[in-house]
Amino acid sequence: MKKVFKYISISVMALFATSCDKGFDEMNIKEIAITGIDPAFILNQAIINTSPTTSTAIYEMTIVQQMVSPNSGVLTGANFNQDNRALLDPMWTRYYRTVIRNTKDIISQVKDKSDRSNLYQMTRIVQAYAFMVMTDSFGDIPYSEAGLAYISANFKPKYDSQEAIYTDLVKELTEASAALSASGKIETADILYGGDITKWKKLGYSLLLRAGMRLSEVSPDKAKSIVATAASGGVMSQNSENFVVKHDANYQNPNGGMLNSTEANNWYLAAPFVNQLKSTNDPRLKSIAVRYVGAASGPQQSADKANRDPAVQTGMPMGYDNGTIPAVAKAAGLASFYDYSQADRTRIVKTTAPQHLVTASQTQLLLAEAVQRGYITGNASEYYAKGITLHMQQMADHDASMAISQADIDKYITENPFQASKALEQIGVQYWISSFLNGPEAFANFRRTGFPKLTPNPYPLKDIKGEFINRLTYQNSEISVNSENVKAAIARMGADNLDTKVWWDK
Amino acid sequence: MFTFAKCSTKTLIFMKRFRHLFLPIILFSISPFVMFAQNITGKVTNAKTGETLPGVSIVIKGSNGGTTTDVDGNYKIQSSQGSTLVFSYVGFMSKEVTVGNQSQLNVSLEEDAKNLSEVVVTALGIKKDAKKLGYATSTITSDALSQNRQPNFMNSLQGKVAGVNVQGMGTGPGGSSKIRIRGQSSITGQNSPLIVINGVPVDNTNFGANQNNAGSDASIGVRGGGGVFSDGGDGLSSINPDDIESMTILKGATAAALYGSRAKDGVIMITTKSKGEGKGLGVSYNSNFTSEKALDFTDYQYEYGQGENGVRPTSANPTSGQWSFGEKFAPGMTQVLFDGVTVPYEPIKNRYDLFYRRGQNWTNTVSLSGSDTKGGFNLSMSNMDSKGIIANNSFNRKTINLGLTYNLSKKLSINSSMNYSNEKNTNPPNIANQDNSIPTSVSVMANSMPWDLLDAKKYDAQGNEFVYSRFRNRTNPYFVLAEQFHNISRDRMFGNIALKYQLTDWLALQGRVGQDYWSRDEDYNNFPTGQASLGPAPAGFVNGRYTQEARRFREINKDLLLSGNKEFGNIGLDFSLGGNQMYRRSDLNSTQVVDFVVRDKYTIMNGRVKDPIYDLQERAVNSVYGSAEISYKGFLFLNATARNDWFSTLSPANRSILYPSISGSFVFSQAMKNSPDWLTFGKLRLAYAEVGSDLDVAPYSNSLFYGINSNLFAGQPLGSSQGTTVPNPNLKPMSVAEKEAGIELKLFDNKVGLDLAVYNKITTDQIVSAQISDASGFVSTLINSGQSRTRGFEWLLSLNPVNRGGFKWDINFNGSYNKTKLLSLLTDTPGERITTGTHIFNGELRQVVGQELGQLYGFGFRRDDKGNKVFGANGLPLRTPDQISFGSALPNWVGGITNSFSYKGVSLSALVDFSLGGKMLSGTNFNLVRHGLHKMSLEGRDTGGVVGVGVNDKGEVNTVKAPVQAYWEVVRSQALVEPVIYNSGFWKLRQITLGYDLSKFIPKNIPVNNVRLSVVSNNVLMLKKWVPNIDPDSFGFTSDNIVGLESTGVPTTRSIGFNLNVKF
Repeated sequence: MKKVFKYISISVMALFATSCDKGFDEMNIKEIAITGIDPAFILNQAIINTSPTTSTAIYEMTIVQQMVSPNSGVLTGANFNQDNRALLDPMWTRYYRTVIRNTKDIISQVKDKSDRSNLYQMTRIVQAYAFMVMTDSFGDIPYSEAGLAYISANFKPKYDSQEAIYTDLVKELTEASAALSASGKIETADILYGGDITKWKKLGYSLLLRAGMRLSEVSPDKAKSIVATAASGGVMSQNSENFVVKHDANYQNPNGGMLNSTEANNWYLAAPFVNQLKSTNDPRLKSIAVRYVGAASGPQQSADKANRDPAVQTGMPMGYDNGTIPAVAKAAGLASFYDYSQADRTRIVKTTAPQHLVTASQTQLLLAEAVQRGYITGNASEYYAKGITLHMQQMADHDASMAISQADIDKYITENPFQASKALEQIGVQYWISSFLNGPEAFANFRRTGFPKLTPNPYPLKDIKGEFINRLTYQNSEISVNSENVKAAIARMGADNLDTKVWWDK
Repeated sequence: MFTFAKCSTKTLIFMKRFRHLFLPIILFSISPFVMFAQNITGKVTNAKTGETLPGVSIVIKGSNGGTTTDVDGNYKIQSSQGSTLVFSYVGFMSKEVTVGNQSQLNVSLEEDAKNLSEVVVTALGIKKDAKKLGYATSTITSDALSQNRQPNFMNSLQGKVAGVNVQGMGTGPGGSSKIRIRGQSSITGQNSPLIVINGVPVDNTNFGANQNNAGSDASIGVRGGGGVFSDGGDGLSSINPDDIESMTILKGATAAALYGSRAKDGVIMITTKSKGEGKGLGVSYNSNFTSEKALDFTDYQYEYGQGENGVRPTSANPTSGQWSFGEKFAPGMTQVLFDGVTVPYEPIKNRYDLFYRRGQNWTNTVSLSGSDTKGGFNLSMSNMDSKGIIANNSFNRKTINLGLTYNLSKKLSINSSMNYSNEKNTNPPNIANQDNSIPTSVSVMANSMPWDLLDAKKYDAQGNEFVYSRFRNRTNPYFVLAEQFHNISRDRMFGNIALKYQLTDWLALQGRVGQDYWSRDEDYNNFPTGQASLGPAPAGFVNGRYTQEARRFREINKDLLLSGNKEFGNIGLDFSLGGNQMYRRSDLNSTQVVDFVVRDKYTIMNGRVKDPIYDLQERAVNSVYGSAEISYKGFLFLNATARNDWFSTLSPANRSILYPSISGSFVFSQAMKNSPDWLTFGKLRLAYAEVGSDLDVAPYSNSLFYGINSNLFAGQPLGSSQGTTVPNPNLKPMSVAEKEAGIELKLFDNKVGLDLAVYNKITTDQIVSAQISDASGFVSTLINSGQSRTRGFEWLLSLNPVNRGGFKWDINFNGSYNKTKLLSLLTDTPGERITTGTHIFNGELRQVVGQELGQLYGFGFRRDDKGNKVFGANGLPLRTPDQISFGSALPNWVGGITNSFSYKGVSLSALVDFSLGGKMLSGTNFNLVRHGLHKMSLEGRDTGGVVGVGVNDKGEVNTVKAPVQAYWEVVRSQALVEPVIYNSGFWKLRQITLGYDLSKFIPKNIPVNNVRLSVVSNNVLMLKKWVPNIDPDSFGFTSDNIVGLESTGVPTTRSIGFNLNVKF
């Protein structure tokens, strides 16, 4: 026994004799971690996160009456014209944490590096896109001080007025689009255009066009000069130039994910949207819609009941909840509310559906409107037709089976000719269709132009005083954490509710 | 001459009962010359047991010469004939012997029951006479831990120790426990005490369900990835209470000061058994069995059944499954569920009985121990089997513990303990979450849902989850039970070896090395294939998510301690000097896969997308420390300590920090010449210390790292900076300065005992993990700022009202009051605040300058100047413009009252404990309100709508009738949480233990020494609570600093069982 203890004693002594080889300084260096990557990869991360979140279905797409759910709880939102702030967090957090944080990071790294000038300009354009979506939805937002927590320890960014934001966005887009240069380094890792400078320039100027048009009501003069700059810079004219996030199985479309999982049976195409497409024999309806004819419950929305014939499509009327909609469905001759038409979750809103953010179709329609408003010269009718054509052709991006033939396109354009007297409305309606599934853009353009002329959602228990929701409300955590700056924004802009209009919305 | 260090080994040999240790009081004086000296040798023994006594003081009366006995109880002294030798030893009566002409003088000492002095294990494992301590400690006997036990043994301390608040989490048998000593000092960091076993710190990593927790061990927490929010247990769950000899809780900063940067939240010192009780070999067997049943506190409405907006499901659509805003029950009504099944529409009131099973815990421990005069050993093997109340949840733990102590020579001794445990935690339930959570689903299921049908219809024709509700993420609990799994297994080995060498008779050197090593394998299917809430997989694959993880952890502590002890007349001096090197490393390998080639084959290889992670953390702390104690005449003690720590995680400028302490103790009962008869013992304590916390600065928190996504997109890489907390290279550990005063009294011959402590601690350099604006790009930031002040007092009152005729009644009343106020954050402007946690739904926890820590905030009802609620034009209540405070979530009063009775071998004890003064935001009740199960939601149903009592925004009386469901759903849609804020306090009859000593029935010819049988019950009765439908004591979040944000956990249980202890 004594011997055993002696051995133990010796081994204890041996343990003491050894000590850590690593010094203190080395120990706190994380050798397995990466401290820097090519900023082009960071831009890729930012781009993929520009796809809007599921909250845009609950608010924006429902406000413009393209989709609707009769259900409350987590789906309470524009369907009942109610303020459900917890649901508005995702867009705010996704854009600030995963788009703007990354674009600011890239800018701080490459701003002064002449060999990465193109990457810097590309990043400015993506960042401008993200900020424009945010300010259009919320009004005054953190802009000049946003995304700087690491770079300059700014933890509670101030809110800038939308007017100031637009002034700077226009400057950013103008400078960046102009500075993109084919003689500079081509960023081949770019997932959007493979670094194609021409396409990036077109994106920059198309966004500038969008920004300029946004000011048509609040400042027509400014709008005119901005639009002129954009148009002369060269904007998108073909679908290959679209700003589209082509989701795949690993990077799924957020709305596609929701509409194929938890809320598969809870979302329907809204009647105003279906009726518009039906009444004009729009060939897009058969690409977009599906009806599970005779479905009496969610589980009965099975493949064998799926009917994509435009003639049977029935949109869900606005203004009902799941207590009142069954009677309405019954009166319409449907088996249940599960029998209304849905955006086809096997095609246009499948989990891997591409998300179109800035398209040639939208751009051409804006040009048509710009001509109509006298901002630029050109043929409004041609731009209009091209805008429609491009959107119909864009359908095939989702699924080959959704492709619309040139004959169908031509037929539609012939049957629905451009009329100068109703031009603004026609363009507005087409822009609305063209922006289907891009809720923030559809919402912004609807507020600016007032088109299409929608009937206010009649749901009785509304939180709004006006007819439509005019802006989205700030997230609860922002009110709690950044309250001084939120209060300053409210003092400037108006109450933090769904009624207050943003600056450009006159 | 003895030293304490030496004694710490040797006293073990002489422990008289397994619950008491005795340490000699060492007296020494110098007597260089004695005339006509003769050499006297002898042995001193215990008169009762015959055991030899080391460390007995022998002085020559009238002179200052003396000596002490050695390890074997032998002494040698030079004395002259006729002089008197005084033998004294703590816990024994002194004996005076006149020296004759003999050279051999053996003496036996009688125990002195009245003057027993308690020995306390203090910091670094140093044992001290309790009366010397200038700070508060509490010692818990092994009985208190092992007789009436719970799977995580710390939970059995609930209500037993003044100033210590232990909370079980409602997370299943393998779950963690939350321990707070003297409240919460850290705003956003950790508040868990250091765990020290046999003098060496061990790991207590918490794998709790930490949703929305800013201050958790995020880097090594559960990876999750959706669907898994379970409590994977903590470091204390590997310990078998049968191996514990004693446990000391060092409550204040001064007590723990020698642990410096690790001492902020106090220390739990556990001493495990290292030798047998008597001489020779002993065997003991302990068996503990308890059966447990869910406590059903649900008090739902059963007047209206399943449905929404007043409509019951009468056709296949639409079934809510979980909403009870349907029609009023009437006989003969039916409902249509599961796509066409017609069943009666009637209330079902016993959901807990229908779903939860009886749980059980069974622990068997066999231990073998031996001892001789030179040392001993204790070897134990234990198996614990626990079955949770959810049918697939179990926890098994096997432990082997070996303790050794041995005197290799007169100068060299060795002490060692090793503990190996193998734990298997199977399917710890998902809690505090909506999706995939059995407890949540069970709690909010519509009140007319037939449970047998829910079970029978868990699968559809394709074998996927049957969609029974429009809320697809409210997974059918029977589907989760059948399809989701989560396996955790851990192998853990911790222990240490100490060698002690007696350099001289007053100076000893000890070297010690301890290691805690564990490996933990875990796998789980975050989302089972076919779950309704899951989107489809790409063509050719089936959906689902599976994760496999392996972790390794190692902490090594090496220390050296030089300790000495000398007396100069009336003055005694104790000192120690030492150093410690701590090194800790944790590794994580984790791979998560999404979508499978082959259905129901949960392996990494079968996955479509594979996402691997490897993570590593290392840290080291080097320390030197020392302590010195001066005593005067055995009644006045002054003790000072200092420790300097150097941290690897900090920048060189901040790296070195000094932690000092000073304390004093005055035993006035001993100092007074004529102390009154009723005063048996009296002592005053005063202490001050500065300590810190090393865990708040995580390794590498100075740098920003980048990550590349595991999948390419369009053939190109994607990446970005990682983390949601802004890195800060200039952090330093927070520090705590604590003042403490106390008084200890024993009166009327120990019939009344009182121990009072008051303290005031200032915590500075708080590492504030402040939530920042999302618009900044990050979620939180860590900054050294902020100061808080904790004030409190704690008491232990023990009474012995009756002790006659064999009948004894003891009352032990312990409790504490504690309040922490935030003095500053970045500035000391009142009202400045940070958000430290957000509720899974709405409401949050804030720290606000000028207010008590842990303020619950949320939107309340908007009220006019006269206090009337204000309603909108649609009749719905309006919320306050800003979130308002509902008060602090931290309880102020925590304690327990134990009454024990014993009579002729029968003992009965009952513990009532309480926690008072906190507020909670009840997430369970939040769900119940908006789901229409809460009785509150009955208002307005009979009249077709709620007309809220109050005014409209014009100040007129509100007359608008709002739809019932929409009215109650404002808790969610408007985040108006005021209706679900409750007082979180409770009074509970926590434990009853009835024991009977069966030894006297054992025939003499059977080699059994001792048999004791106890009948135990835990969580016996809720005496008083303020929150409906739940037990306020079950909390879901194990997160370190999130309190008051309740979210549905596993129901608490009442257990009944027995404990059998047999000694051979």
